[in-house]
Amino acid sequence: MTNEQNFVQQDIENFHITEEPFYVSTSDEVEIFESAYKQRVPVLLKGPTGTGKTRFVEYMAWKLSNSSIKKNISNTEKLPLITVACHEDLNASDLVGRYLLDANGTRWIDGPLTRAVKVGGICYLDEVVEARKDTTVIIHPLTDHRRSLTIDKLGTVIDAAPGFLLVVSYNPGYQNALKDLKHSTRQRFVALEFDFPDEEREAKIIMHESGCESEVAERLAKLGSKIRNLREHGLEEGASTRMLIYAGKLIQDGVPERRACQVSVTWGITDDFQIQRSIDEVVTSIFA
Amino acid sequence: MSLETLEIWASEGLDICKLSPRSWEVSIDYFNSSTDVQRHLPSAQFISWTKIGKRLTKLSIDVAKSYFLSSPKSMLRIRPRHLDDWANLSSKLYKGTWKSAKLSSKFFEATPLLMEYISFEEWAKYAEFLNNLSKRSYDLAIDSLELSISLFEKLDNDSGEVINLLLDSSEKSWKDIKMIFETINAYMIEVEAFNRNQILNLSRKLLVTGNINPIDTMKKTSSIVSKINNEDKDLFFNMAKSLSTIDPKSCNDFFDVVPILLEKINFQQISSWHSHGIKNSENQNIELINDFFTLKSKESREIIDSLSSSIELSKVKDIIRNYSLALTGRQIEVKESSQLAEKNIGWFGDELATTEGSTIFMPSIVNRYLSKEENFGFLKVISTHQIGHIEFGSFDFDFKKSSNFFENLRINETINKKMLSNDYLTDLSKFFDIFNDKKLSLDIFTIFESTRVDSHIFSEYLGIINIYTDIRDSALANRPQIKDLPVRESLVEFLIRISLGQNSNLYVPTEYSNEAKKLRHLIKTIASNKATVEDSAEATIRAYHILNEIKNEQIDEDEFEEFNADETNDQLEDENYKEEQIIQSLFSEFNQSNDNLDESSDNPENFESNELDNEYSSPQDIDYRGEFKPELSQLLSQMEYSENEFDDLDTNEPITQEQLEEMLKNSPEIEEFDQNMEESDNSKLSDVIENLMKELSNRDIENNQNDSGTLQHVDEDGGPLSATEDGTFTYDEWDFRANEYKNNWCMINEKVMPDGDSEFYKKTLNDNSHLLFQIKKQFELFIPEMYRKQKRLIDGEEHDLDAVLEAVIDLKTGITPDEKLYWRRNKHERSVAVAFLLDLSASTAEAIDDTKKSSDEWGAPDDPVEYMAWLRSRRTDGIRRSYKRIVDVEKEGISLLVNSLETLGDTYGIYGFSGYGRENVEFYTIKDLDEKFSEIIPKRIDRISPLHATRMGPAIRHTITKLSEVDTKSKFLFLISDGRPQDRGYSREGVEKEYAVHDTRQSLIEAKNKGITPFCLTVDKSGHDYMKTMMEDFSYEVLTDINMLPKRLPQLYKNLTT
Repeated sequence: MTNEQNFVQQDIENFHITEEPFYVSTSDEVEIFESAYKQRVPVLLKGPTGTGKTRFVEYMAWKLSNSSIKKNISNTEKLPLITVACHEDLNASDLVGRYLLDANGTRWIDGPLTRAVKVGGICYLDEVVEARKDTTVIIHPLTDHRRSLTIDKLGTVIDAAPGFLLVVSYNPGYQNALKDLKHSTRQRFVALEFDFPDEEREAKIIMHESGCESEVAERLAKLGSKIRNLREHGLEEGASTRMLIYAGKLIQDGVPERRACQVSVTWGITDDFQIQRSIDEVVTSIFA
Repeated sequence: MSLETLEIWASEGLDICKLSPRSWEVSIDYFNSSTDVQRHLPSAQFISWTKIGKRLTKLSIDVAKSYFLSSPKSMLRIRPRHLDDWANLSSKLYKGTWKSAKLSSKFFEATPLLMEYISFEEWAKYAEFLNNLSKRSYDLAIDSLELSISLFEKLDNDSGEVINLLLDSSEKSWKDIKMIFETINAYMIEVEAFNRNQILNLSRKLLVTGNINPIDTMKKTSSIVSKINNEDKDLFFNMAKSLSTIDPKSCNDFFDVVPILLEKINFQQISSWHSHGIKNSENQNIELINDFFTLKSKESREIIDSLSSSIELSKVKDIIRNYSLALTGRQIEVKESSQLAEKNIGWFGDELATTEGSTIFMPSIVNRYLSKEENFGFLKVISTHQIGHIEFGSFDFDFKKSSNFFENLRINETINKKMLSNDYLTDLSKFFDIFNDKKLSLDIFTIFESTRVDSHIFSEYLGIINIYTDIRDSALANRPQIKDLPVRESLVEFLIRISLGQNSNLYVPTEYSNEAKKLRHLIKTIASNKATVEDSAEATIRAYHILNEIKNEQIDEDEFEEFNADETNDQLEDENYKEEQIIQSLFSEFNQSNDNLDESSDNPENFESNELDNEYSSPQDIDYRGEFKPELSQLLSQMEYSENEFDDLDTNEPITQEQLEEMLKNSPEIEEFDQNMEESDNSKLSDVIENLMKELSNRDIENNQNDSGTLQHVDEDGGPLSATEDGTFTYDEWDFRANEYKNNWCMINEKVMPDGDSEFYKKTLNDNSHLLFQIKKQFELFIPEMYRKQKRLIDGEEHDLDAVLEAVIDLKTGITPDEKLYWRRNKHERSVAVAFLLDLSASTAEAIDDTKKSSDEWGAPDDPVEYMAWLRSRRTDGIRRSYKRIVDVEKEGISLLVNSLETLGDTYGIYGFSGYGRENVEFYTIKDLDEKFSEIIPKRIDRISPLHATRMGPAIRHTITKLSEVDTKSKFLFLISDGRPQDRGYSREGVEKEYAVHDTRQSLIEAKNKGITPFCLTVDKSGHDYMKTMMEDFSYEVLTDINMLPKRLPQLYKNLTT
């Protein structure tokens, strides 16, 4: 009856980043992260959606895997990256692990956090504010000098492997007072602020990710920066780099430029008709 | 003549003589005229002529006399067979009174004249008309007769319709007859005969069928006809006729509507709208038809809208506004050009696009093309150009900044030494002061700067190029011919044409082909996307130098040659020498002008105007580029962005009237103004100055109080206050300079808002029923969010599968299982308390969208006594106003929210605050937190009205006190304001301004510390600057469009509390 596959954990090798992710740094965040890793200080990434937070963590996991910093810290070959996208029903056992029923009784399955703690990898909790409050209880001991994970169900406490680092991200939704990171939590991290890259960098990113012409990429980047001017004036979030990349991909695939921008940027970013019209006008000014 | 006839003739004559004592007079006339008459009449008719005469004599001596006297001439016009009718109809007017006799005689006498212009049939109708009139008034009839003669003469053999109209009018509206004559004289004579007859016919038809005053009809239709071309005229008359048969009244209204429609759509389109209406009319009653043709019906308006290709600015304003925001990242207002012209601060074009650095002004309607797309395209191009001036920094000109492509002649020492003596308000004023001929320099600068902006746009916004080029080409097509202009102007025109993208077929005066090459080189340099406004300035100096030396003389066409577009670099070789020369000449010119000013300050242009020259006049406007007033714009935008961008200027010094006068007197932009107004008396200029002063002080509040020295430090005196009376509370105030609290510094005076009328509340709910529905729906939507499935409970609706599984597992592994195995849909206790704090400062009395009114309204005196008097006068103004004020929108927003909040069940309170001075901060309770909603609340809302100043700190502190007493999980303070905090001694001058902001900020921090989340919503468009300081770390929103408030408020509320 049992379907074995459901119980098999993915090999930790699957969490290794083997190819260099494309990342363009905007300031000294790479160096800061390296230092933080060296000193085992957890990192908090702040910034609006689509500013490259996730990509940055991937990039750092790859970079650290091949750097001397990591080799000094732990002797494992690679540095795995375990990413958890948090949602409002995510609770502590989703992170730590749980017993599953088995034909023979029960079996313990490590949660993503436990695995990262054990093998000494980076555990990245995306949008951590969304998770249930009980997760903070397990996060706190991992993020201070104790570096330990308590597993209630097993009645054990695991010390984190030397290579382990907790990274969380959050998007300061400036209009939602009820969803804010607690000070006791946020003050355990060094914070890196992410914002949209400047036009030149963004063009480079768009070009690389979408494979479109450099001239198209430049104009997409210009569009992005123009639309971001509308933030707080009708738009809640600026156009993310991701959107612009999508537009670039469509253009590369032969979709007319204006149409591509319309479907991947204008319509995606807002439902407000007036703002859509305004963005459309910006699009038609930039693209022929 | 036969003997027989002769006998009869003689005996008739004798008979006439014998008829009455005075009849011998008649017989004299009889005999006198007989010879002439007899020549025109056969014997038989001649005899009947004599007989008629006899009959008339019996009737009236006077009538008969006129008959005989007028006969010789009349016989020239009247056919013999009409003789009887003529006499009968004329004599019919005689009713036995002397007045009627007079009329009848006059009519006889007028016959020869009348008959010159009208046929006998027309004459007969005319007689009937006179007869009709004579029944009412003989005088009127006699006057009409005289009027008619002169009228018929003017109408030149085409009076048939006039007579028809007169005849019908004499029956339907005889009183208007004189007016009708006047109207015809005034309006109809000019109209071409064919159309005139159509109009008259139409007027008559409407008069007969619908009793519609023909005077109106004539006036309206003739003015319509004068505006449209010939083909359309036929169309118009056809439309009118078909409509007149259906409903005369609608037809009359139709005439009123046509001019309105013509602004939006052309005649073909009107025609299709019209035929829609006619088609509909088949099965509709008259009222519906009328609604259609008076544009009252929705269908009718929709048809017009869909037909119309024109773009109304009001409809696309928001789009353009966001578009400019996106492009520049600055908050740019979009307004109609006329609004700027009305302010009278130096701009005049009603329909020209322009900008003053922070707002772009557009024509109210664009109707240049046949399709909506093209018209919008035009609007987009002209706004992009204006935005370009802002985005690419036309007004950021810095005198000291280097240009990218030129050696900086501006910064040359010789020039600078001269300039030091003067004090300039803007860098551009300083720049223009280099030149002697300001007009020429401004024209050149305008060309260069627009060219630069255009080319920046071309390189930045590829998508707009196509339509931009089209519009530029059509602007080019409307330019005057180079060859028609005097030399200097022709070279300016040459520059413009190049700047509009013309490359071939350019002509230049043969003598100056070398100069033309230099000019072209300059403009090509400017057209680089690396050029800055400083480059334009440098190019202006060079081009000015070239052009100023060229006489503006008229030359023959053959003295022009085609410009050789071949790029040559030879002018670059003597660059150094040239620059030296330019400085020399500018310098000497500068000296001259200064000397000249000393001698005769009135006319600085004197010395340079050569007698042979034509006076130089500025080139024709380029429509899509609109008006460009760099100097004024820099002045105004300097105010707007003072702190950030013009550090080198001492902006703390308020601008004085004298400085402004000085600037405007020297400004080339105002020279232009003098021309425009033709009569350049000083009063006009001083009007502009006064308006500008107002405008400047509006933009920079601190300047408003520049002479209120007595008030500055009032609050520094005195000590702590103590609250002795009921309803008073004291609060500390934060002094950021001392970095400590001033204890018990402010006194809150809490009052319950008095009741008003609940009408406002009801009306608001009614008027916004649609919005209200939306809000309620939104709010209801988040009620289910509160009924969340709660898991892991000891007791509940059902087992929680996950929990049970876990328990089983726990049992198997030997761990004590959790007892919480159930889930339940539980009411997630929503525990929210919100206090709304409304700013009731006097500035909320400002009218929305009514710039004229607001500038008049808001002029608070600085003296406290006057201030209070002024406030009282404002408050007694009455509650009902025709225009909407900011506070009204606040009230609307609150009304709608209150209604929806009731469905939600949150604890909420509404408070207003205002006050004057620290001793008297008024705090009004509209609804207390623990108060239940009742009928009295709407009544209190009604009384929300603008009061005094804005001392935010104490009001916020008092609200905090109130909120702390409530026991809810989350607490919010929602501040709705229209501007920065300000009060006596709280914001008046520089430091105090900071003081107010910091105190407010401190009070918000206090709120945060007490677990209250503050949120600030401001409708002050310039709010971003101080809000950033004040609300650092806190959430706020600047609402650009106040009308959005009622809609936005519930959304914000929802976002904030869920």
